[in-house]
Amino acid sequence: MNNLPVEISFWQLLLGLVFIFIAQITSLLYHLGLNRDITVGTIRTFAQLFLMGYVLTFIFQLENVWLTLLVFSIMVISASFIVKGRVREKRIPYLLPTILTMFISYFATAFFVSGIIIGVDPWWEPRYFLPFGGMVIGNSMSALAIAIERLFSEMRQQKNMIEARLCLGANYKEASAEMLRNAISAGMIPSINAMMGVGLVFIPGMMAGQVLAGADPLQAVRYQIVIMLMLVGSTAMTSFITIRIIRKRCFGRGEELLLSLSR
Amino acid sequence: MEPLLTIEHLWFSFSPTGAPLFEELDLRVETGDFVLLRGVSGSGKSTLLRLICRLQPFSKGRILFKGVPVDALKPPELRRQVLYVAQIPSMIDDTVKANLLFPFSFSVNSDKQAPDDHELIRMLSDFYLQDITLQQPALNLSVGQQQRVALMRALLQQPEILLLDEPTSALDADSAAMVFSIIETLNREKGMTIICVTHSDYRPETVEPDLYILKNRTFHRL
Repeated sequence: MNNLPVEISFWQLLLGLVFIFIAQITSLLYHLGLNRDITVGTIRTFAQLFLMGYVLTFIFQLENVWLTLLVFSIMVISASFIVKGRVREKRIPYLLPTILTMFISYFATAFFVSGIIIGVDPWWEPRYFLPFGGMVIGNSMSALAIAIERLFSEMRQQKNMIEARLCLGANYKEASAEMLRNAISAGMIPSINAMMGVGLVFIPGMMAGQVLAGADPLQAVRYQIVIMLMLVGSTAMTSFITIRIIRKRCFGRGEELLLSLSR
Repeated sequence: MEPLLTIEHLWFSFSPTGAPLFEELDLRVETGDFVLLRGVSGSGKSTLLRLICRLQPFSKGRILFKGVPVDALKPPELRRQVLYVAQIPSMIDDTVKANLLFPFSFSVNSDKQAPDDHELIRMLSDFYLQDITLQQPALNLSVGQQQRVALMRALLQQPEILLLDEPTSALDADSAAMVFSIIETLNREKGMTIICVTHSDYRPETVEPDLYILKNRTFHRL
C-alpha cells in the first residue's frame, strides 16, 4: 500500500469550486446578499494559503531560529488585532497587555509541546514549532476575544452593582470578582467542550491531515491528544492573565469604574 | 477642631475642554450635621456626592475627610466611612439576609462582626420592614422596600457620613415618607451625619437641616 497522499492537480483544485458555486446559487436564490463575501472569501482562501505554503517552504529550507520567531511574532500580532476587531470597548486600553500575554503564553505553550513533550531538536524546528504555534494562536485567539468581550459586557451591565459594592468597602477585585470568573470560564468552555466531542462528533483537522498524509492513525491520535490538552492549557493561561490585567485597567486610581456605558 | 468633611475650591468638568459643572465650590460639614442639597436635574448634585467618595475623580480643589485629602486614603477605607447610597438600590440575586451581610466578606471589613439574626430582625422593624423575612428573595421586594434594605445595609457598616443620592425619587409617597422618617431618626437619635441631595421640596420636620441650593455652578445657602 502506498502511504503517500494522492496529489491534487491544478484542475482538480479548480473542481473544488463546485462547492462555492452551490453556495453562490443558494445566496442568489434566497437573496442572502452573501455573493460578494463568498467571492472575496474564496479568493482570500486561495491567495492566503498559497502564500503561506510558499512562506513555509522558504522557512523550512532556511531553518533559522530568528526567522521562525519573527513569523511566530507576526502571527501573534495579527491575532491580537483580530481580537481587537471583535471587542467593542474603545475607552479601556487593552491591546498592549493582550499582545504581551498572548506572545508569552503562546510561546511557552508551543515551546513546551515542541521542545519538551515531543522532544524536537532543536525546539524551534519550524516544521513543528510554527504549526503548533498556529494552532494555539488560532484557537486561543477566539477564546480570548470571547472572554474579553464577556468581561466588558458584564461590567457594563452590572455597573450599578459594582459601584454598590465599591461603596460598601469592596476593593476593585472584590467588586468585580463575579465578572472576572464568568469571563474566564466563558473563554475556556469552548476548548473544554471540544475535548468532550473530539473523536465522537468530529475528526480534528490536525489528525485528519496526518492520516491523509499517510501517518499511522494511532500516532496521529497521540499528536491530537497533545494538541487538545495544549489548547485547554493555553486558553486558560491566556484568559486568566489577560482578563486580570484588563480588569485592573477598568478601574482608575481611586478604584472608580472607568468603563463607559455607551459603546 | 477639623470639620468632618471639608470641600475647598472644588472645580469639576466632565471633559477637560468642557464647561465646568462647579467652580470654587466650598462646604464644611460638622459631625451630626444634616445637609440637604437641592438643585434642578443636571446641576451636579449627584456628581458632587460621587466626587466625595471618589466614584469619579476631580482635578482641581480639595475634599478633606477629618482633615485628610480623600485621595490620600485607600478607597475602600474612605468609602466604608463616607458611604454613598445610590438612587436606585442594587440587590444581589439572593435572600434579604445575604444582601445585608455580603459587605462583611470584604477585606476592609474583616475586623467587623456580622450581626446575628435577632439583631437583623430588630433592625428590619426599625426600617419599617417588619413584614418581610430574612430568607425572602431580595429581588421580589418592591423598590421602596429594596431602598430601605439598602439603607439598612449601609448602616450596618457604621459609616461616619451617609451620602444619600435622591433616596426617594423612585418611590411612592408612602415609601418616601418612611425613608425620610428613617433618615431623620438616624440623624436625631444616633447623631449620624447626613448629606442628602434631592430635587423635591422635602424639608425635614424633626431635624434642622443646613439647606443649600446648587445653582450657577456653586452653592447658595437658603
